[in-house]
Amino acid sequence: MISLGGVAFAVLLMFIFTGFMNALYDSQVQLLDRLNGDVIVVNRLKSNMFVPASFARRRLYQVRAFEGVEDAYPLYISEGNWKNPETGKSFSVRTLAFNLGDPVLDMPEVGEQTSALQLPNSALIDVRARGEIGATKTGVVSELADRTLRIVGTFELGTDFASGNGNLIMSDVNFLRYFANRGPDEETRSFATADVGVVKLAPRANVEKVVAALREALPEDVLVMPKEGPDGFVNRERMYWQENTNIGFVFSLLTTMSFFVGIILVYQILYTDVADHWAEYATLKAMGYGNGYLLGVVLQEAIFLSILGFIPGFAISSLLYSGAAEATGLFFQMTSRRVLTLFVATFVMCVFSGVVAVRKVQANDPAEVFGG
Amino acid sequence: MLLNSPKQTASPVDPGLAIQIKHLNFYFGAGELRKQVLFDISLDLPKGQIVILTGPSGSGKTTLLTLLGALRTLHEGSLVVLGKEIVGLPDRALIPIRRNIGFIFQAHNLFESLTASQNVEMSVELTGQLAKKRRLAVEMLSQLGLADRVDYKPNALSGGQKQRVAIARAMVNRPKIILADEPTAALDKDSGRDVVNLMRQFCEEEGTTVLMVTHDNRILDVADRIINLVDGRLESDSNPEIYHQSH
Repeated sequence: MISLGGVAFAVLLMFIFTGFMNALYDSQVQLLDRLNGDVIVVNRLKSNMFVPASFARRRLYQVRAFEGVEDAYPLYISEGNWKNPETGKSFSVRTLAFNLGDPVLDMPEVGEQTSALQLPNSALIDVRARGEIGATKTGVVSELADRTLRIVGTFELGTDFASGNGNLIMSDVNFLRYFANRGPDEETRSFATADVGVVKLAPRANVEKVVAALREALPEDVLVMPKEGPDGFVNRERMYWQENTNIGFVFSLLTTMSFFVGIILVYQILYTDVADHWAEYATLKAMGYGNGYLLGVVLQEAIFLSILGFIPGFAISSLLYSGAAEATGLFFQMTSRRVLTLFVATFVMCVFSGVVAVRKVQANDPAEVFGG
Repeated sequence: MLLNSPKQTASPVDPGLAIQIKHLNFYFGAGELRKQVLFDISLDLPKGQIVILTGPSGSGKTTLLTLLGALRTLHEGSLVVLGKEIVGLPDRALIPIRRNIGFIFQAHNLFESLTASQNVEMSVELTGQLAKKRRLAVEMLSQLGLADRVDYKPNALSGGQKQRVAIARAMVNRPKIILADEPTAALDKDSGRDVVNLMRQFCEEEGTTVLMVTHDNRILDVADRIINLVDGRLESDSNPEIYHQSH
């Protein structure tokens, strides 16, 4: 039981570290995944969602003229301070705004609440926002960018690096009320510029061809990308965070370390077990069983350990994942691929430890055990 | 020097010999701590003989036994087991030789998690007779008077019963050589006698060579030959009658 606990603990460590790493990456693209289009247009300077560069909205009108393009919608994004109605403290939140007639986001709950959003000074709030911003429910009245805002509904998105503490969704008209004239130090927003252009293609249009045509025709100030695919917008965002931040390095390091801690733990477990049955292993050798057979016995044990240790490790990790998602608003995803990867890692860990643990028996003359 | 001496041939390895030892030296430890425990042992064991190895404790009896059982790697002298020189062989090459040798340990060394029958079956599996391993194991155990104990685990068996399971394990494959380290020490007079009689039977029926380390005077009479080892040297090599007279 103790040995299983050791393996489970190593599995748990690996799950936590990879979980946080993946959560940080996955969270970055939560919004991007929900953009309801096939092609994305952004300012060339907007290398990631954190850069507030916007582009001329007339580019989207140009895009609409191309063959295969069904529609192109602007999405307006701005940071603003939201006052927690309970404590009176302000926290930065991200506001997403669009023409209520445009299906910019692939989120049914938002589509159902557009009529409420038509009221002036109204918005939807992200229920997965961080706790600091206060209650996230319909009927809350507080201030965004020093103006009163009424929450008329909720949606579910989650936080990431660019969104601060949470997200709000409002109509483009309301967006102007809050962000058009915020004072001399703040950027002035208008309908002339958009942050993300979401291009919806006709049902049977070829994404690559349209992208190529748009790149060819549009001026250099905007960047046109497919949404999905290795060169897509979603992947670019993920790659940005992977390659330009230390998240990947830190968490890969931690995961690797927990892998090695696991190897050491399992080695200790198996070695103790081998030492306990020293005489039996030596007897096997004396009977004429080869080193391969001894290895087989220890590996069998290692494989049992890896399977039986993985199950509790996985179960506890699942609980921790949902707990962590609750607390941070980050997006903890336990995909089967990740589970499989870690299971393979656990398996390798146990087998490697088994190979090391059995070497001592293999190297010894069996008679050493029986005295002389 | 040999009783029942089989026909001698001119070849360096006599096919009538199960074990041929020439000028064998063995050391424990290395460097400064190196201690010689066997000195210039030369000994021929023909097939079908029961040989008892006696001597005071610390004289190197068990060491010699483990050397003959190919349980240690060796470097000096010559040791031919069943026609194969094993001095200088690496560990890997010793494994097939061990399969022709039944080794009965001083401690029974049974697998605690396996039943008596399964313990014996472990031995049969080495020969690849998977289909009839159970039958062979039960037969062997029955011969040793354990027919009603085949499915007991070692911790449910008495010391003598455990020892008999260990003996069954060593003998089930009808090995050419049986090496036994105090096989009767944990047995009462009657079961000890049964065990040596079974060995005797093997010798006569199958030409098995038995080398037994023992202090048990009750079974000395079964031997064809008694070898006395003192301080790592062969002190005497005689038949039981002469041994009795001189001791």
